[in-house]
Amino acid sequence: MKHSRFQIPDSRLAGILAACLLAAAGCSEEKGSGLGKDFSYDLTELRKVEPHLIGYDEAGTISVPLKEVRGLAVDAKDRVFVAGDDVVAVFDREGKREAEIKAGSASRCLAVAADGTLYVGMKDHVEAYSLKGDRKVVWESLGEKALITSIVVGEGGVFVADAGNRVVVRYDLAGKQLGLIGRKDEARDIPGFVVPSPHLDLAVGRDGLLWVVNPGRHKLQAFTADGDLEASWGKASAGIEGFSGCCNPTDIAVLPDGRFVTAEKGIPRVKVYSAEGVFECVVAAPDRFGKDAVGLDLAVDSLGRVLVLDPQAKKVRVFVRRKRMDG
Amino acid sequence: MPEDRKPIPRREFLRVGVRGVALAAVVGGTGYLATRSREARYVWQLDPSKCTQCGKCATNCVLKPSAVKCVHAFAMCGYCELCTGYFEPEPNALTTAAENQLCPVAALKRTFVEDPYFEYEVDEPLCIGCGKCVEGCRSFGNGSLFLQVRHDRCLNCNECAIAAACPANAFSRVPATQGYLYRPGYSPATRKEG
Repeated sequence: MKHSRFQIPDSRLAGILAACLLAAAGCSEEKGSGLGKDFSYDLTELRKVEPHLIGYDEAGTISVPLKEVRGLAVDAKDRVFVAGDDVVAVFDREGKREAEIKAGSASRCLAVAADGTLYVGMKDHVEAYSLKGDRKVVWESLGEKALITSIVVGEGGVFVADAGNRVVVRYDLAGKQLGLIGRKDEARDIPGFVVPSPHLDLAVGRDGLLWVVNPGRHKLQAFTADGDLEASWGKASAGIEGFSGCCNPTDIAVLPDGRFVTAEKGIPRVKVYSAEGVFECVVAAPDRFGKDAVGLDLAVDSLGRVLVLDPQAKKVRVFVRRKRMDG
Repeated sequence: MPEDRKPIPRREFLRVGVRGVALAAVVGGTGYLATRSREARYVWQLDPSKCTQCGKCATNCVLKPSAVKCVHAFAMCGYCELCTGYFEPEPNALTTAAENQLCPVAALKRTFVEDPYFEYEVDEPLCIGCGKCVEGCRSFGNGSLFLQVRHDRCLNCNECAIAAACPANAFSRVPATQGYLYRPGYSPATRKEG
């Protein structure tokens, strides 16, 4: 049989058709389900960070030989303290392991006072230790619903964030409860903490104010020791200048010059904001962490280095500022 | 003895008796087997902790729409104003306008509770089980949205087409009396499924 110039044999036509269908399927399907892109949840573009926005380099890591790591703190001598399992691991500023302090139960967060007292947060109470590892005192439980997620020591005493009860509890250094901070109070114009997931972090600002993350409102809020709301900043946005998802940031720290460091989950990233809350640069982009990284804890030392506790990697990652942000 | 009450012949009495016993045995046996089979019955279910939200639950079920639906564990939910299971990653506004919604078939309903809390409920007849909202919730939030085979719809095929296609091996047979699998940390005692 002789074909004309414009005729295509049936077998070839079927092949071409099949190839077209396969190509179309390959273009439109996600994960082989047959569903189009409208049915796919994709954060790829939002995880990307412009190189010129990155202002820090990773200078080193401290491996933490614990099964589960949860909390990070740095003292005035730049020693690094990591809460995890039922211990507190202590490292010098170079990352050399100095000691391990046995805690009464699973340690979740910690802070070191100027006198060297180590305050360790368990699920529902705080325990105080000397740096030699002697337990000084066990504070009273905050109740069954309590979930302590952060401790800081400031001029007004010891401040303990209780994510379970959505409040910050103020104590004196001996463990006497002095008051509650952040509970919803319309008369004082305090909106209350919105804590959808167990992340409620604290930091003491250069001005002495207590800075508290209000993750469900995507804000950092500053309180006096007496609980008056003094300042607030932050906005929700998946863009680099805002806080992404339902409830971010999860952790904060304050640099020696008063600027803020923030960490987020969902799109795991660490960023620096000015003391007024204006985005400045990225410390660690999402590609530095695992896709499901959560629970990044932050600390800064006297040199202005940013220390990030990466629970997935079981490492403290140390970031130093680039001399020139050139990407 | 009155004439209309004649004695039943022994053969007739035995025949009726045997029939009665046989009938009772059949009825009783059937009931026993039915009860026993219900106790021992197994149904298909997917493990939320293994699920990767690949979308195959939506396209591989013999039912259209799929018998797999998103369910909502309210006890785990943060009632977020910006729910990442409900909103696009970068919504124009936190409103129910279609362009802000993540669900392609608008099967998730948002209701104001009190500032700043909102409740989210799954409209099951609309849900096709694609898992897009599940991935959104899991990426940022507590994972209170997850996929489950709904047994009021599932035909319980001998060979489940979704189970055969599932790349995560998340499907298994579970006892019908415990036909739902929950995410770790979720207590079924407090559930209010949506």
